[in-house]
Amino acid sequence: MSKSLRDLHDVELAAQAAAGGRREYGELVRRHGSAVRGLLRRMGAAPSLADDVAQDAFLQGFQRCSEFRGQGTFAGWIKKIAARLYLKRVAREARYVAEVEADEADVVVDRAGVMDLDEALKTLSETERVCVSLCHGAGMSHPEIAAAMDLPLGTVKSHVKRGLDKLRARLQPAHGSGGRSTHVG
Amino acid sequence: MSADEFDPMIERLFAQTPRMADEALFLATVQASMEKRSRWRTLALTSAGLVGGVLAVREGVNFNFSAGDETTLTQGVRTAAATAQGAAQSGLEGLGVGSFDLMDGSGMMAFWIVAGALVALLAAGLVKLSQDV
Repeated sequence: MSKSLRDLHDVELAAQAAAGGRREYGELVRRHGSAVRGLLRRMGAAPSLADDVAQDAFLQGFQRCSEFRGQGTFAGWIKKIAARLYLKRVAREARYVAEVEADEADVVVDRAGVMDLDEALKTLSETERVCVSLCHGAGMSHPEIAAAMDLPLGTVKSHVKRGLDKLRARLQPAHGSGGRSTHVG
Repeated sequence: MSADEFDPMIERLFAQTPRMADEALFLATVQASMEKRSRWRTLALTSAGLVGGVLAVREGVNFNFSAGDETTLTQGVRTAAATAQGAAQSGLEGLGVGSFDLMDGSGMMAFWIVAGALVALLAAGLVKLSQDV
C-alpha cells in the first residue's frame, strides 16, 4: 500500500521530487515554506521580498533536488539556498554599506510572556542580524557565512558575537520574567 | 544564563517559526511558477528538436553521395556511411534478412532509416516531456 504524501519523510519526498515529482515537491513547500519565509524576514527582508526570494529558492531547490541526499535536513538545505539568494539580492543593492544601529527596543516580551525573537532581532544592526540569522537560523558555519557575504571570517565572528550579546542582553530578562509570569497570584 | 545555555535557546527560538496564514497561497504561487517553467522548458526543447530535425533532414536531402567532384570531406562522409551501412548489413545478415540491401538506391535507404530513427527519437522525447508536464 502506498503512503500518502503527508506520511512520507522529507528525504523520500525529495528523492521523488528529484525524479520530477511535482506533487511531492509541493508537499515539501507546504511543510517548509513558512520556515524559509520566516528566516528571510528575520534576516531583514521585507515580507514581499522574503516571499519572492523564498519562491525563487524553492524553484531552484526543485531543479537541484537531486543534490540533496539526506545529509542534514531538507529544511536546512533549502534555508541555505534561500539565504544565499537573499544575500545575492542584497549585495546587488549594496545595502551593507550602511551600518545603522537600530533603535533600542524595550519590548521583547509579548503579551503572553513569550520571548519574541523577532522583536529582539530588530535591536541588532543589519549585518549582525543577518550573521546571527545565517548562523542560528540557516545553520551555516562562520566560514560559509564569510564566503556568502564576502566578508572576512573575523568580521563575521565578531558580528555573530556582538549580535548574540545584544540578544542575550534583551532576552535574558524576558526569560526570567516569562518564567515568573506563570506564578502570578 | 550561560553562553552554553543561551546558544541552544537561540537555535530553538529560530526553529519555532509560526505557520503563516497565507501558506496555501504561497504554495499555489510556487506550483504555478513550476508549471510555467516546465511549459517553457518543454516548448524550448520541442522547438530545438524540431529545428534540429528539420536541419538534419534538409542536409540529408541535399547530400549527394554520387557527386562528381569529391572533396576530402565528402569522401570521408561517404566512407563513414559505407562503414555504417556495412555494419548494419552484417547485422541484418545475422538476423537472417541479409537480402535486404541497404546499399541499394545510392544511400537513400540509409538516409530514410536515419530520418526514421530521428523522428522516432523525437517522438519518444515528446512523449517523455508530455509525461513530465
